[in-house]
Amino acid sequence: MTSTHPNAPIVEHPAIQLHGIGKDFKINRRESVTALSGVTATIGRGEFVALLGPSGCGKSTLLRIISGLEEPSDGTVLVEGAAPKQLISEHRLAFAFQEHALLPWATVSENIGLPFRLAHRPIDQSRVKELIALVGLNGFEKARPKQLSGGMRQRVAIARSLALGPELLLLDEPFGALDEITRRRLNFELARIWAETGVTTVMVTHSVDEALLLADRVIVMATKPGRITTEVMVDLPRLRTSATLASPRFGELAAQLIGLLDNSERELEQSS
Amino acid sequence: MRRNRQTLPIAIGAIVLVALWEIIGRTQFFGTTFPPLSKVYEVLASGQRQRLFLTAIGATASSAGLGLLIGGGIAILFAATRQAVLVTRPGLDRLAAAIHAIPQIGIAPVMIIILGRENAPIAVACIATFFPAYAAATRAFSAAASAHQDLFTALGSSRMDRLTRLELPAALPGLFDALRLAAPGAVLGAVLGEWFGAPRGVGLIILSSSQNFDIPMLWAAAVLATLMAMIGFGFFTIVQKAAARRFA
Repeated sequence: MTSTHPNAPIVEHPAIQLHGIGKDFKINRRESVTALSGVTATIGRGEFVALLGPSGCGKSTLLRIISGLEEPSDGTVLVEGAAPKQLISEHRLAFAFQEHALLPWATVSENIGLPFRLAHRPIDQSRVKELIALVGLNGFEKARPKQLSGGMRQRVAIARSLALGPELLLLDEPFGALDEITRRRLNFELARIWAETGVTTVMVTHSVDEALLLADRVIVMATKPGRITTEVMVDLPRLRTSATLASPRFGELAAQLIGLLDNSERELEQSS
Repeated sequence: MRRNRQTLPIAIGAIVLVALWEIIGRTQFFGTTFPPLSKVYEVLASGQRQRLFLTAIGATASSAGLGLLIGGGIAILFAATRQAVLVTRPGLDRLAAAIHAIPQIGIAPVMIIILGRENAPIAVACIATFFPAYAAATRAFSAAASAHQDLFTALGSSRMDRLTRLELPAALPGLFDALRLAAPGAVLGAVLGEWFGAPRGVGLIILSSSQNFDIPMLWAAAVLATLMAMIGFGFFTIVQKAAARRFA
């Protein structure tokens, strides 16, 4: 099952090419579970794609495969024409996690400067300052993660991921652990920041609203085995704000996505 | 409030222990070789032997401290090597287990022959320190969260950067925990090393007083050794808590 599903768009300048990706996890010597099967997709340069699906559909695993943190059992991944590991070794990729993964002993500035250190480049202090301003944390340069709220920590993590101006930004439910109000505010902020950078971005989420506020395209996934069921183009105008949430088109798309997620749930119930 | 709830049972326990010791000693429940605590205290507090005790404490404390630093240092170095260079893991683990299997009572006379009477206590303290420190340090080096490890991988970190910028700072609370657990052993190791013929130290007092059948003096030396072990433990507990506040 490596063929592209019917709704996949034609991408002119591919940044990520996934072909027949499968992933099995060994439980013990004899048994294994299939986390992903036959995933084929193309993501264009400068595109923001959301991977949307219920828990257990392998969306985080797919993101880890794209990043090179995980190897697929089947299929091929090409990122900018090379293996993901290549991008990692050239410090061209950034990853933001659900757990902010800030170093607790380092200040906000030091955390944002970490990618420079690991790439053995001199820390560009003006860039660090710019990023702190971008995520609205002026005055917190010397603060440690423990002194910040959950939302502020994720802002630092986003700023850190943008430090080196990556070619590929991967977000694994970066706002998943936040409350609804903070989450929404950060969605708007990320929409604004992303519009300024235009970096190719893949975000895992299980929130329909989040996907619609941020993405150009939503890849809908289902479970057992983890796979892509369909894709939905998000034709909402940029820049998306709280007004977008109230627009009729947003409502239509949300209803469509919720319907697609419900369908795959129902399929699963029938098959079991 | 939480502090009070913890302190009260500890205080009651200590009072019961002291009272019990005093009663057992006074009634000669275990015979004349078990003196009451007040008598041991008299020996410790009497002015005439203060110089002797102070010299002994100084000698034992410096042997134990040096042994702890060297043994703990080697243990942390081993654990860091084990963390950075995967192929060394099985070998270092077995070496550590072998060092742990050395009976201190057997190695002490050997150390005196090899290193001399002055240095044997340091060496025995060092050996006593090594294994608990190694065990705790290997655990400490895997303290870094998996999200942090993933972050360093995705950012293309080198193995060395991962060790110095992530694993080492994340390990610090655990490393001080290692020293905390090893401190009492270092004191006892030093005392044992002295017992086999060091020129001074608490171990020497234990040896001479047992030969002279000076029972209160023997107990006084034992109390001193115990107090030193407890102080070492307490000191590194404070350091460990400070490190945990800063690095975790």
